[in-house]
Amino acid sequence: MLIKTRHFGEVDLDEEKIIHFEQGILGFEDCKNYAILYDNEDGDRPEISWLQSLEEPALAIPVISPFIIKPDYNPTVEDELLQSLGELTPDNIIVLVSVTVPNDITRISANLKAPFVINADLRKGCQVIVENTDYEIKYYFYQQLKAAKAGKEGK
Amino acid sequence: MLALTRKINESIMIGNNIEITILEIRGDQVKIGINAPKSIPVYRKEIYLQILESNKEAASAEINGDVLKELFK
Repeated sequence: MLIKTRHFGEVDLDEEKIIHFEQGILGFEDCKNYAILYDNEDGDRPEISWLQSLEEPALAIPVISPFIIKPDYNPTVEDELLQSLGELTPDNIIVLVSVTVPNDITRISANLKAPFVINADLRKGCQVIVENTDYEIKYYFYQQLKAAKAGKEGK
Repeated sequence: MLALTRKINESIMIGNNIEITILEIRGDQVKIGINAPKSIPVYRKEIYLQILESNKEAASAEINGDVLKELFK
């Protein structure tokens, strides 16, 4: 199916890639269907993707795996809050966090407090608020990411 | 908005399975107990609003794709 997107123009999306968010996401409760899109111009899958709404082409939230910026990320969530996603296993669970990118890129932040949890088998997702009090809504990670990349290149 | 007056240890039922109890009143603070199925998320409203705001902010940013790509390379 052809969908209009915020960053990639019109995209031909395989219908099996649609992820259904029964409750929508906070602030966009009416947008319930999404696809994860990324720029694969260079062949490699980049670390940053977009949670693109199918109902609202202008709605696309940049997302990353939290483990890139917080390797020990281990949120606590009541099982019951994830019940609607079906059985989650290490093989089918996808966890993503939204990224806020201000004009000053050094103030880039990720929302560790409210990750998106997706069951890749059933293509169902939801946004949950985790119980961990030390996980911030605005987790600034620019310096840390830079340092990690520098470390990798130095190897 | 429905307003009900309650005393300490009195409750309000919302539907069949959500019970809100006034536990303590001290000055301008009220301690409230909430008994609800675990499948019903309960948050302080500030947190809820902050996350709603964060989602909107993440979605509305005018992003220079190249700068972002470079950062996450």
